[in-house]
Amino acid sequence: MPMLTENLSRQATERGDAVALVDGAQRHSYADLHGAAAAVAAQLGAKGVRVGDRVALLLDNGFDYVAALYGCLACGAVAVPLNTAARAGDLGGWIAHADARAVVLAPGHPAAGELLATARGDGRLILMTSGADVVEGSRLCTDARTAYGALARPASADAPAMILYTSGTTGRPKGVVLTHRNLAANVAAIVDYLALGPTDRMVTVLPFFYSFGNSVLHTHLAVGAMLVLEPNLVYPQKVLETLVRERATGFAGVPSTFALLLSRARLADYDLSALRYVQQAGGGMPPALIERTLQALPASCSFFVMYGQTEATARISYLPPEHLRAKPGSVGIPLRGVEIEVRREDRSRCAALEVGTIFVRGEGVMAGYWNDPGLTASVLAGGWLNTGDSGYVDADGYLYIAGRRSDIIKTGAHRVQPQDVEAVIAEIEGVEEAAVVPVDDDILGEVVKAVVVLRPGAVVTDLEIKARCRARLAAYKIPKRVEFASSLPRTSTGKVQRHLLARP
Amino acid sequence: METERKIRDFVLRNYLFTTDENALRNDQSLMQTGVLDSTGILELISFLYEAFEVQVDDEEMVPENLDSVAQLTTFVTGKLAAVERSAV
Repeated sequence: MPMLTENLSRQATERGDAVALVDGAQRHSYADLHGAAAAVAAQLGAKGVRVGDRVALLLDNGFDYVAALYGCLACGAVAVPLNTAARAGDLGGWIAHADARAVVLAPGHPAAGELLATARGDGRLILMTSGADVVEGSRLCTDARTAYGALARPASADAPAMILYTSGTTGRPKGVVLTHRNLAANVAAIVDYLALGPTDRMVTVLPFFYSFGNSVLHTHLAVGAMLVLEPNLVYPQKVLETLVRERATGFAGVPSTFALLLSRARLADYDLSALRYVQQAGGGMPPALIERTLQALPASCSFFVMYGQTEATARISYLPPEHLRAKPGSVGIPLRGVEIEVRREDRSRCAALEVGTIFVRGEGVMAGYWNDPGLTASVLAGGWLNTGDSGYVDADGYLYIAGRRSDIIKTGAHRVQPQDVEAVIAEIEGVEEAAVVPVDDDILGEVVKAVVVLRPGAVVTDLEIKARCRARLAAYKIPKRVEFASSLPRTSTGKVQRHLLARP
Repeated sequence: METERKIRDFVLRNYLFTTDENALRNDQSLMQTGVLDSTGILELISFLYEAFEVQVDDEEMVPENLDSVAQLTTFVTGKLAAVERSAV
């Protein structure tokens, strides 16, 4: 099975002049990208990064991000892409938790100043900056003029390749360790069912630091396709114009991506006739929204509903498009090489249509959580991953998700751990306690609501609470709504009954 | 000036959660400085309708009209003037 670095080397050899990435006005060929990745690998080695060292990446989607990531993989380092929307507290926490040897960052990032100061004080952390020398010799080298050979195959396919953090650092940081084999296997299976090829042109708004965006990146580079980067969906018309201009064959989004596109634009006004496949993952998409999306897309376009988890690299199952209307609400069948079991509390297998916990096995299942054997053991046993999701399989073997057991709030493409927000609110003078819960939202699926209990006599406004959250947390974690209560509902054992607060 | 003040006040209170006038420049890009995200812009469009009865057509939803307080003020002022002209 070819590893990711071998995929890129092959494409650079077979179609070096083909466009790999469109990043704003820049069009980068496979030869350029491959050369840049090799240059980064050489630079990392020269700076003292060794096999197994962690290299944190704080870069938005772009050529430098991809070059840095493949450079890490090629020199045996473990890439740790960080959420660029996060604030300095979480970023510093992840860098410390991963015990990163190096950090590659964009000097313009809002947290760059703080991180640069920390890195300088640390003395051990190697600093690399994209675009400019911030300290002497720090500029990320993506100069492909030097002739490099093929990117190295990792010494061991089972060595860690990436760590993806799926939660903040308030509680217990969860760094999902993905091996080279995990990534290669998941990529190969996705390429297979989407029938991706070198003539595909994918427009993506998904950040590469999340597993969905990460899989979109690697699957398209693996086949020599073209990836067109759009920074966000603030102006949906811009994204649609790009789809038209590039004659895009592919598009990917979470449910809110489609809700936003449909709410602000008439898709029928745009020539999307080249679109061959649209992928949806990142949470359940209401069948009515799927139907509206189908109506707006060309009839020749296949719509893939998919289910996955970072802990399974990305993808676990997909619904073959021809069954979309026959199996509404289903997330489909397992990918090639993936087994799914729905189990009862006693671990015995559920019957068809019986709701239980979803377990997954296959080459995409992570090696574990970084530096946390206890947490790893709580979800991994005998090669099986406990997804924490509940669901059932119908008589034809199609999987349906019935709910999630965790308190995680899914807002747009993001996941919010309530404790991260509660901890920040609890620090405010005058706050007794706070509970953070999801409330339904037409566009984002869910948004964050905070219910706050103040100390007697204290005066704290919702504006002050939001302002504090904005200073300390990524924007998507800021509560859209703040309510005040005299107390929080609790069970007899003292646990907050979040479900009672999660009403609109 | 009243239009600009209303827009500034809305952006400050709803996206920056402050009444500090120094927290926002009129020429500041709302998208590039992370003030506005993909749902924030929908709230902004609702605000323009509620505060000024200005309807943002799909083709008008471009950064040139909406990406700073100054651009928003020019856009709203222009739309209101067009309404007045058509009423004459």
